[in-house]
Amino acid sequence: MRMKILFTLTLCVMYTLSFSQGREITGVVTDAESNDPLIGVTVLVEDTGTGTVTDFDGRFTVTAETGNTLLISYTGYSPERVVVGTEDNYNVQLSFGSVALEEVVVVGYGTQRTKDLTSSITTIKSEDITKTPSSQAMQALQGKVAGMQIVSSGTPGSGPTVRIRGIGSFPGSGDAAPLYVVDGMFFDNIDFLNNNDIASISVLKDASAAAIYGVRAANGVVLVETKSGSYNQPAEIVYDGYYGIQVAQNVLKLANAEQFTDMALESGSEADISFIQNAMQRYGRSRINPNVPDVNTDWYDQILREAPMQNHSLSISGGGSNATYSIGGSYFLQDGILDMKNEYERFNLRSKVDYKATDWLTIGGNMLLSNSTQYAPAQDAWFRAYFAVPIMPVYDDMNEDAFPVNLANAQDLGYRGGQNPLSSTLFNNNRLKRRNLVANFYLQVDLIPEKLTFKSSYNHNYLSYNARNIDLPYFIGNGYQNPNSSISRTYENRSNQIWDNLLTFTEDFNRHNLQVMAGTSYRDEAWDQLRATGLNFPVDQEEAWYIDQAETIPVDNVGDNGARQYGLSYFGRVAYNYDHKYLLYGTLRADGTSKYQEKWGYFPTVGIGWVASQEDFFNVTGIDYLKFRASWGELGNDNVPASDGARTTDIITTAIDDQLVTGTTSLSVFSYLSWEVVEELNFGLTSYLFDNRLSLDADYYIRDTKNAVIPVENPSIGGTVRKNVGVIRNSGFELALNWTDNFSQDFRYYIGGNISTLKNEVVDLFGQAYVDGGSAEFRQRSIVGQPLLAFFGREVVGVYQNQAQIDADPVAVANNLEPGDLIYRDQNGDGEINDDDRVILGSYLPNLMFGGNFGLGFKGFDLSVSVFGQSGNKILNRKRGEVIFTSDTNMDADLAINRWHGEGTSNSYPSSKGIRKGWNQRLSTYFIEDGSFFRIQNVQVGYNLKGADLGSGMPDIRVYFTAERPLTLFDYNGFNPEVATGIDRQTYPIPAIYTAGLNVRF
Amino acid sequence: MNLYKTSFRYLFALMVIGFLGSCSDLLNEPAENRAFTDETDYTQTENMILPLIGAYGEFYTRGWEGIPLISVRGDDVNAGGLGDQQDFAEADNYNYNKDYWMFNSLWEVNFRDIFHMESTIEQIELYEQHAPNTATAEQYKAEARVLQAFLLFQMSRVWGDMFIPPSPDPSDLLVTPISSKAEVMTYISQQMDAVADALPAVNPNKRSDIPGGVTKFTALAIKALANLELENYQAVADATSQIINSGEFALEPDFYELFKLKGKLNDEILLELQYSDFGQPSGDSKNYLMAFFGPQNWTPKREGASGGWGFFEPSMKFIKFMLDRGERVRLETSVLFTDRGIAEIKSDPAYTNLPDWISNVTPSGDRINDYARALFASGKHYLPSEQLTTGRTAYGSNKNMICIRYAEILLMHAEALTRGATSSAMSADEAVNLVRARAGMPALSGVSSQEVMDEKFAELAMEWGIRYYDMVRLENYSELSYGGRTFTADKIFLPYPQNQVDQLPALQSR
Repeated sequence: MRMKILFTLTLCVMYTLSFSQGREITGVVTDAESNDPLIGVTVLVEDTGTGTVTDFDGRFTVTAETGNTLLISYTGYSPERVVVGTEDNYNVQLSFGSVALEEVVVVGYGTQRTKDLTSSITTIKSEDITKTPSSQAMQALQGKVAGMQIVSSGTPGSGPTVRIRGIGSFPGSGDAAPLYVVDGMFFDNIDFLNNNDIASISVLKDASAAAIYGVRAANGVVLVETKSGSYNQPAEIVYDGYYGIQVAQNVLKLANAEQFTDMALESGSEADISFIQNAMQRYGRSRINPNVPDVNTDWYDQILREAPMQNHSLSISGGGSNATYSIGGSYFLQDGILDMKNEYERFNLRSKVDYKATDWLTIGGNMLLSNSTQYAPAQDAWFRAYFAVPIMPVYDDMNEDAFPVNLANAQDLGYRGGQNPLSSTLFNNNRLKRRNLVANFYLQVDLIPEKLTFKSSYNHNYLSYNARNIDLPYFIGNGYQNPNSSISRTYENRSNQIWDNLLTFTEDFNRHNLQVMAGTSYRDEAWDQLRATGLNFPVDQEEAWYIDQAETIPVDNVGDNGARQYGLSYFGRVAYNYDHKYLLYGTLRADGTSKYQEKWGYFPTVGIGWVASQEDFFNVTGIDYLKFRASWGELGNDNVPASDGARTTDIITTAIDDQLVTGTTSLSVFSYLSWEVVEELNFGLTSYLFDNRLSLDADYYIRDTKNAVIPVENPSIGGTVRKNVGVIRNSGFELALNWTDNFSQDFRYYIGGNISTLKNEVVDLFGQAYVDGGSAEFRQRSIVGQPLLAFFGREVVGVYQNQAQIDADPVAVANNLEPGDLIYRDQNGDGEINDDDRVILGSYLPNLMFGGNFGLGFKGFDLSVSVFGQSGNKILNRKRGEVIFTSDTNMDADLAINRWHGEGTSNSYPSSKGIRKGWNQRLSTYFIEDGSFFRIQNVQVGYNLKGADLGSGMPDIRVYFTAERPLTLFDYNGFNPEVATGIDRQTYPIPAIYTAGLNVRF
Repeated sequence: MNLYKTSFRYLFALMVIGFLGSCSDLLNEPAENRAFTDETDYTQTENMILPLIGAYGEFYTRGWEGIPLISVRGDDVNAGGLGDQQDFAEADNYNYNKDYWMFNSLWEVNFRDIFHMESTIEQIELYEQHAPNTATAEQYKAEARVLQAFLLFQMSRVWGDMFIPPSPDPSDLLVTPISSKAEVMTYISQQMDAVADALPAVNPNKRSDIPGGVTKFTALAIKALANLELENYQAVADATSQIINSGEFALEPDFYELFKLKGKLNDEILLELQYSDFGQPSGDSKNYLMAFFGPQNWTPKREGASGGWGFFEPSMKFIKFMLDRGERVRLETSVLFTDRGIAEIKSDPAYTNLPDWISNVTPSGDRINDYARALFASGKHYLPSEQLTTGRTAYGSNKNMICIRYAEILLMHAEALTRGATSSAMSADEAVNLVRARAGMPALSGVSSQEVMDEKFAELAMEWGIRYYDMVRLENYSELSYGGRTFTADKIFLPYPQNQVDQLPALQSR
């Protein structure tokens, strides 16, 4: 008996010892207004690192002792703290809508609370990223971040063009893409990530936020956090998948055979008319209209297809008191809408583990493997489909010599080119395999508990890139053949390492809150490449597609290249506030790089903030929170090369007496370059109004690239040498508004919108009045005081309608013009029309972008809609402009129908004859079109079933349907108005996507 | 224990920071995979030929539009290819568009190589300092000067007043005044005098180091060309006499084959652009884009051979001129006929009966079919399909482009003599009759200037605009006013490309 008591006592003692942290505390968390239980609320016991989340009934159980504080937080609700007393049960109510002030945002080498921010950061959460069916996470951000332009890419597996606050580098000189930081590792893009891998994406828009990334930060920084588990979280298993169909939208209508024939007959060109005759001889006459050949091919129809896409992901995450884990895998497959071997397949695996080894040491590791295969489209098929004449069939049995299929050849009708777009889609096979391995290991030491920590983390990204481009041989005609099969291979390896070491000190005393961080970063970036081409290999079996099997390996196409760069950085941050009312923020980064002649750059920033609503005197009804922010900072752009020109000696081969001999060549055009420096001023305002139902963020910025690398023309020899001598300014206003409320317990809704303006301006060009870009036919000019690379040409005021008008105009007489030719504005009034009359015709950058989203939830149903639009940008319709190179090809139906063909028929398009004249082919407003558009970006309807309602042990299920880009409205004569460079020659169309998806959560 | 642990933590942090400091040396690592000119080992003088070969490589790499633009304006040839490159056709009609890309491209490509030659000379001089004897270096430099002179000569013929590059740095042109055409031609003549003796006095095809490279006679030929432009006929006669007297050159007996593979490194050639596909069915290939000159539609004797683009059409005027003279060899060589073209000739009552050898089948058996864009194609830029290397299909692949040949030297010599110059090398009659004999034409005696000019027309049509520049020099504008065109003195030179005017102050004041 005594033994038994002793034993029990011992047990009790042991129990107390092992659970000396305290006792079981239970509770229920509910919505303050509706009294509904809140599911998935995080309950943390402060200072212990333990915690849990609420179950489906809002219940939680944690272990805590008297005096401990429970921190109860939930996205979209204001967190509550509860001090544990003698009670064992606590019912907590959270108020909805007091938004994210207490939320913690990632700021680069650390975190900050939203309310203490002085800079401009927008964070997008996982839920919003996975709504977009795409292989590209950045695509999901389109229209969601004020000031960030995302230009979609239709090519499966290709990332969109991303620009944050305009373009600060001269296109072609530096990359305008932002820096992506994925869990601490630097990337040029995040094409390898699956949307489901990502927990959040934070866009550091202003210099103050980005300056901690120094020389890499000038184009803005995008911080990506992959998913992780939480301590004391029960295992959660989630499957998410969708299947969908992509459908080409707004397919451009081409001139049909009849319209094309009309155009040719009106052209006055004997050659063009004879080709129509040839077509009628070869293919017969249409029975409907015997003056038209009996062929009517819609070439877009021939190369387009509906294409499926699907994504499946599975993740398991959770955590115990000492460890957290998150493991997941995903599979993505997308076919392109171009009818050929054109697809993107990706398989990702990831894991993230954190472990508290001792009370002062935490270690963790994070691995991500991404394996993708992309079959790239033959982009020129788009181009050729536009130009191929409709009076030619796809296949032509009379073309008996053709090999391997008897494709029709426009040369048989007399045209100069063979034209058939199927020779692009059938005889190309471009495969790119990318294997991306990202590893991250860290160790964190608490030097002074809760105050001073040291963290050392090592990141490695190993990327292998294996490209195989195959051109298959074909013969369609003497002038339309590829006698040699060719295989080109490029192998690339990229090995990037970053080792960061951080000391972080946090101290709150009285009402002073201080955070100090100091760190170092070591970077090593290595890259190498080997490439070769082989000609004539056995094409029939893909197993033989190796250079070893080739008949010849041309020496000139063998290359070996590599680069290695080192970087060393020291940086620090001080964030201080007094009572969360007066905010002060500063960072400084010293970046050393081996890339440039100049080794060290220093990038400072200072930010201040004033939370007016915290002042005692502040008492404005309706305004719950009001903060004014201002910041200044300097950033670097090291995406520019280290030097330009060739004081280097290049190898050149030439034929002398039928022998291939090697020589050297050099040219004394050279300059060393350095990084560009961006200086930015940002003024902002953050406010929450009407019981936190409305949030408002407004920013104004002026962003100057001070020593932009610009091309300085080499006199007489052409070409340019780039120098750090330009100044480019971007300025704009950004506003984001979000309203969230509920009508009743069951009926919740939100509505939000953002709008941003952009003014892009060249401020200085090293004394040059302008720098020319584009090509001679399609001139783009960067003039001081105007946007970068603005379209530059003549202004059309109308079309000459009759002979009297011609006779009365000396310009028309001097240039032998006829009715149906364009009338240009004589800008300088000298009575002549020539290149001196060219003016700026517009920029390819939109000056206004807006996005909106709307959502509502009713019981298990939810609906979300997002829209996006832009205006002010121009597109060069180079499809029409190409007529300058070949005038006898097809055109779009709009041009064919609305051409001038008699007095009063058109005052904007030339006649068929005119289209073929040099006079009308000069770059003018006739080729420059408005790129404004409005789009319904995404509509998603979902129905949620709670597992508890289905029966014990059943998972939560969500079924959803998505329509991505179901409707786009625009005036531009093309497939889509999203053209990154503004020059539409062959742009992969952006399809609409309709998917059905399933989400299961155990 | 605790103290030890705490110290360990701090020590670890300090070690990490200390290690990083030592990495800073890595910032001074040089860039990979670059051969900086500064780092070339110039003591290895056997490599001195490398920059020279590079110079030839650059010289042989001409833009496809360059030679057509230089050559298109005479009454021997039309632009053809109506339908695109309208401004190329306009230039043929003497309506010049200063904004047209071809103008600027010709300017830039030629100037780029003019400066390349300066850099080549600089490079050779760096080797020369270490060379045991300087003769080789002097020869190499002289070769680069000759190549440069040929480019500069073409530039000045096309644009008239032109820059003489003062240094290897293109930006020096910003402050360089422009030289008159006469100054440029005088400069070229003097340069050729200065370098001629450093060059081997052999036919280029006898050179062993660079077969087909520049020799003394190439320099003299360019000197003669420059002096012809200056109408300094005695200097023309002197330079051509030296070439004739050397005995190094001879006319290729078969005029037709001269413009085919047999013309490569032929005894007749003083300067040519060398190309090759190295006898291999695929792989490396160095070629000029002959397709530009080729017929757009043909039935080649060798199946699968590609046709051309249909530009560069021999003029009806030239064809009738040749028919009037009773020429066969040179007409058959210079012109590829189509049925449509033959019908067009016959539509003139004076030419209803054509010799029956006029046919759309070439002597090599390729059939030229009708195509909309032109009636005729250039035969001098045509390589018969049967002469293509097996496996190659590109039009004119493996064909060289002749720049200066002995026939032109002989005719320049003859012209100079008929215009009053004296020479002991050969009389004007002898020179002209050598050329005529090869073409199967009867001998003349007591040739006049006009007869020499006609001979040049017949012999050198479609080659480098020789006909146009002759007519301009002689102010014989009526010959250039043909086929609906009107030529006036203000049309002689192309306007400077707008792109160059925008950049170069010396051009802005003009």
